[in-house]
Amino acid sequence: MNTPLRTRLAISAGKLAAATSRLAGRGEGMIIGGKVALAVSPHALRDLAQGRVAALVSATNGKTSTTRLLATALSQSGPVASPTTGANMTEGAVWALATGEPGAQAVLEVDEAYLPRIVRETQPKVVLLANLSRDQLDRMSEVAMLARKWRAMIAENPDVLIIANADDPIVAYAAEKATKIVWVAAGQAWTADSSVCPDCGTLLSRDEKTWSCSGCGRSRPEPSWTFEWSAQQGNTYARAVAPDGQSFDLSHLGLPGRFNASNATMALAACSELGQDLPTALELMNTVSAVSGRFATVQAGALTVRLLLAKNPAGWSELLDIMPPAPTPVIVMINANHADGRDPSWLWDVPFERLAGRTVIASGNRRRDLAVRLLHAGVDAHVIEDPFAPNADLPDSVRALEVIDCAATYTAFQKIRVAALDGEVDA
Amino acid sequence: MSVKIASIYPTLLGTYGDGGNVAALTHLATLHGIAVEVTEVSPGHTVPHDADIYVLGGGEDTAQSAAAAALHASGALAEGVKNGASVLAICAGYQILGHTFLDAEGKPSAGLALLDVTTDRLDTRAVGELLAQPSEFAPAGLTEVFTGYENHGGHTHLGPDAKPLATVTHGVGNGDGTEGAISGRVIGTYLHGPCLVRNPRIAERLLGWAVGRDLDHIVEAEVEALRQERLDFVTKK
Repeated sequence: MNTPLRTRLAISAGKLAAATSRLAGRGEGMIIGGKVALAVSPHALRDLAQGRVAALVSATNGKTSTTRLLATALSQSGPVASPTTGANMTEGAVWALATGEPGAQAVLEVDEAYLPRIVRETQPKVVLLANLSRDQLDRMSEVAMLARKWRAMIAENPDVLIIANADDPIVAYAAEKATKIVWVAAGQAWTADSSVCPDCGTLLSRDEKTWSCSGCGRSRPEPSWTFEWSAQQGNTYARAVAPDGQSFDLSHLGLPGRFNASNATMALAACSELGQDLPTALELMNTVSAVSGRFATVQAGALTVRLLLAKNPAGWSELLDIMPPAPTPVIVMINANHADGRDPSWLWDVPFERLAGRTVIASGNRRRDLAVRLLHAGVDAHVIEDPFAPNADLPDSVRALEVIDCAATYTAFQKIRVAALDGEVDA
Repeated sequence: MSVKIASIYPTLLGTYGDGGNVAALTHLATLHGIAVEVTEVSPGHTVPHDADIYVLGGGEDTAQSAAAAALHASGALAEGVKNGASVLAICAGYQILGHTFLDAEGKPSAGLALLDVTTDRLDTRAVGELLAQPSEFAPAGLTEVFTGYENHGGHTHLGPDAKPLATVTHGVGNGDGTEGAISGRVIGTYLHGPCLVRNPRIAERLLGWAVGRDLDHIVEAEVEALRQERLDFVTKK
């Protein structure tokens, strides 16, 4: 493969900038490296992609985990370039391709708003679209606006194969005009952002499996792949059913929760389109147990915690389900820094009532908002600025736990993770 | 007799945590020993005409137009107001109460005309902490600064029959230095947060109207700590 000279120079300049940034202790240097490369060669992404990009993964929730699952599954046919560092805008994509193994196929997670540009420039083999819901509304687009952007993107890139979640009406609306499409009934636990038809505004009708609109006649597209899930009394049943009826048992995934089994179903559908051996793909996905700190057990000051990341109501409502049952205490950390979104009003959309019967350690720079939310939810809250300090005023029930769940918004999560890993990139 | 609270189309008008307003009304009513009955009205279902308090939240453009159309068809909100009910409407819900607001394509749509206001577009979207001092037209008992978070593109112009609820001390509000509007017991505002969580005195005013007596303010330490933190955050910047 022949990378144009200008882009090769751009990559060198980017690497220098990244190294300088790392030496200055400013982090991993990916974003600055990508920025410098793009400044030197605006077409760097197109030049580096050149048919290498197997898949782009976008969604409000689950991008990073789905990307890791898919990249791990694709490793059966050779090296895969796939950083799951959360650098998911244009510069992150440039950097992933510039620093990954030369010529290796790539799987990239992509921010919802940046997806149109990155699809245009990388021309991936497949694009996975899993879900859209409210997220950081102070700086991101409202959901219907994103769907319209994706719709335009699909119209402009007719050769790209779309793998989309038919159960999310907003995603279905975004993807319905695709000429090459695989629909996956991947489930939708959070319906509050798709109560009305994104096209005609009529209230959607829903039953257990499908949705339809009486206003314009839209309904859930007929899926090729189906995700099945049930959880009762600690027993979970999870499987993906392929178009030919073949069934894949998802109950041995290393990642917890309904949402990760759904992510794995999307990844399997992608593997099928990319010509992979599916039983091998599933075996490889089963080995993934933590993704960039998510679900990892780490030391946080005086405590050992299982780190959980949730950024918005849809993510939180699923996360509450994987915590151990009451009365086990948990730590919840709510920040409202730029990357978290500055407006934590969404706390009122999260069913924190489900935490009743246990003590919640409320922390993060918006712990007071959380404390009021928990007060209304009838949940016992201890507001503690730094629960990890050696002298933190923690209830005995917290200290008695070997590992405590710590669910946090993005910047709170990253702070714990980076401190625990002493600057290493991955877990 | 219970106070009847109607949560209007929370599936359409509830994008910004606005469910917290009904939660706050319920919570404070319990503290005051007032029984409440909450009806969540979904589109397609009948809006009660005999509620004591109607609550409308914020929402996206398409949902806002759908909610306005359904409320027009129903007519129950206007009837409720005529019968003495109060209305608290936030953001998109506030705009719906006016004469016109702009739809997703930027075309003026008819509102319910329960407030003498019209809404067009601000030059730049208003996003951030909002502080406003209650105006002389604010209901009795509301003198403490209002705190909340705004996220809207609407520039709301008040006509002679609507009075500003407050004067902006930080943020944008209506767009002309005023914030919100009030006419009788109908209140519109851009304060998310949610509004009644961060400003419990407004909730106590609505409940007081419903039971026909003034309620003594109940101080909750968690709420005071949150209010103080938000005030400090804005004034320290």
